[in-house]
Amino acid sequence: MRWADALRLALESATRRFGRTALTVLAVTLASALLVGLSTIVATANSRVFNQVSKGGPITAIRVAAARANPGQLETDDFRLGPPLRIDDQTLSGIAALPGVEAVAPVLDLDVLAVPPPEAGLREPIFDRMVGVDLRDAGQLPVTVLAGRLPAAGLSNETAVTLSYLDKLGLTADDPSVVLGTRVSFAHPQVIQTSSGPDYRGRWVWATIVGVVAQDAAPGMFLVSIEQTEADRAWALGGTGDANFEPLPESPYSAAIVVARSLGEVRGVRKSINDLGYATSAPEQLIANVQRYLKVVDIVLGAIGLIALIIAALGITNAMLAQVRERRREIGVLKAIGARDRDVLRVFLLEAGFVGALGGGAGTVFGVAIAAAVGAVVNGYLTQQGLQGITLSVPLAIVLAGVFGATALALVAGVLPARRAARLPAREAVGGA
Amino acid sequence: MSTAPLPAAADGVGVSVRGLRHRYRTSGDELVVLHGIDLDVMVGGYVALTGPSGAGKSTLLSLLGGLEPLQEGSVDVGGRDLASLRGDELAVYRRETVGFVFQHYGLVPVLSALENVELSLALSGADRRARRSRAGSLLDAVGLGDRMEHRPAALSGGERQRVAIARAMANDPRLLLADEPTGNLDEDAAAQVLDLLESIRADRGCTLVVVTHNRSVAARAERRLRLDAGRWVA
Repeated sequence: MRWADALRLALESATRRFGRTALTVLAVTLASALLVGLSTIVATANSRVFNQVSKGGPITAIRVAAARANPGQLETDDFRLGPPLRIDDQTLSGIAALPGVEAVAPVLDLDVLAVPPPEAGLREPIFDRMVGVDLRDAGQLPVTVLAGRLPAAGLSNETAVTLSYLDKLGLTADDPSVVLGTRVSFAHPQVIQTSSGPDYRGRWVWATIVGVVAQDAAPGMFLVSIEQTEADRAWALGGTGDANFEPLPESPYSAAIVVARSLGEVRGVRKSINDLGYATSAPEQLIANVQRYLKVVDIVLGAIGLIALIIAALGITNAMLAQVRERRREIGVLKAIGARDRDVLRVFLLEAGFVGALGGGAGTVFGVAIAAAVGAVVNGYLTQQGLQGITLSVPLAIVLAGVFGATALALVAGVLPARRAARLPAREAVGGA
Repeated sequence: MSTAPLPAAADGVGVSVRGLRHRYRTSGDELVVLHGIDLDVMVGGYVALTGPSGAGKSTLLSLLGGLEPLQEGSVDVGGRDLASLRGDELAVYRRETVGFVFQHYGLVPVLSALENVELSLALSGADRRARRSRAGSLLDAVGLGDRMEHRPAALSGGERQRVAIARAMANDPRLLLADEPTGNLDEDAAAQVLDLLESIRADRGCTLVVVTHNRSVAARAERRLRLDAGRWVA
């Protein structure tokens, strides 16, 4: 018997017993949906957690401070800052040449005095830091846009603010977009020594807030293009500085973000940078711990889904064994008219495979839908809390596992009844003595 | 009932049975259903096997049709020793040499009359167009040309049995075995079915063995043999 004929017979047989087939398919659908749904939720949670840890930037990012590393730097995720150590373009080139380094981005953050618009109702100016980064390569930076967009690279009249700015203005994080389009004035200090002591002067510029971000490039609530902070540094260097309150920004860059090629290379890159003398910070331990916990969650949820699938597979076996019992005479007739054992085996296996494929396919769609629904609820909650929402992550492997895994499991489940059917004697067609 | 001539003709086969003994094991007990019987059916012969329930008629028919392996004795069909056939060889024998007609019709309920006849041809690997054409001709020949797309549930008992006969004829069998072919039919339908079987035998020269309880059915055969408790009786 040809495969096409066997398939047709299997499909006819499955649809003939519609109620039983539908229930069996439903069991496989629910099990697959559970497996796919849980796996998708775990995958999305993984992505979300790592995104949170890396503030939206590459998970392999290492922050380098313009300071010497104190002993024990590599034993901790945080900086162990020693005396200042200059970071310039040569330093960046040297780091970029280290093995395992994918990219290097400079950061220059400086003190700033910011004055929000009068309608914000803030009487006092804000003393904080302005963080300048190379916005041409923003994908390599630990920056997440919560609302609006990033400032344009090279422009000095655009800025993004963090949620701390909203806090200062007494705004909640529910709708960060309220500050978009408003202007803020910046004053960058220059200190000049006079006969009566240090004199402070300000270089005033204004910028429009174009985005609200979460960022971990350097401490500071204003994110701007690095060209702006470079201009501000040049302005500060025009003065004499004040060693106590406003030292001169000697280093061309205050920090650098180094991206390692893979998580496994973070440790080595960090050590190499440490060998150059620089203090570094990277969430190595945190990521390792999170990975361990997520792995456990992954295993537990995967096992729950797998158990459900195995139960569904047992359901297939049971339903098909019942069919074999009911169809003894029909199988006997098939053999009496010339079907071989393997023809019968083929028909029953195809029937099991059909149930598995149908249930697996429907379950995968259903599972992704469940995950999407859960994601929507979670997104609603996160938005309420003023946090960035999640993006559903449906790895292809999960989809393939949902469809082909269920089909394969159904085929395995169908082996016993199919073999039993194939071994039934042709004499079943006659009955009696 | 209008019928068209059956396509193609095949010669019958001679059947020679010697010392056929068969037993079944049921819950530890051994039940001997055939006690070393002999039987000869000539090429194109028409034999009716009668006897009470449990006499061994269906078992003999199963053994002639290769539905189960021989235990003792020999069965020679058209010069082929069935004792030497195993597994797939028996399947090929059943497909190419034998045509079965059952009391319960043995039709697949989800397939139409045409598809049921096609099924037999599909098992021999015929391509779809060829088998559809042949199945149509066979159904025409048994007078069901206008009921081809009907499923068994939509056919009368007599019509179902005619579909079963068309299916049995699909691969030009040389030995036609009918197990109580009229057992579920009324008198008219039974007569039609027997007429059909006999006309097939006459047209195609195949050997016909019919198992029946019914004396009037048996009376139509050229030769009547009676089994009782696994032995021939006069």
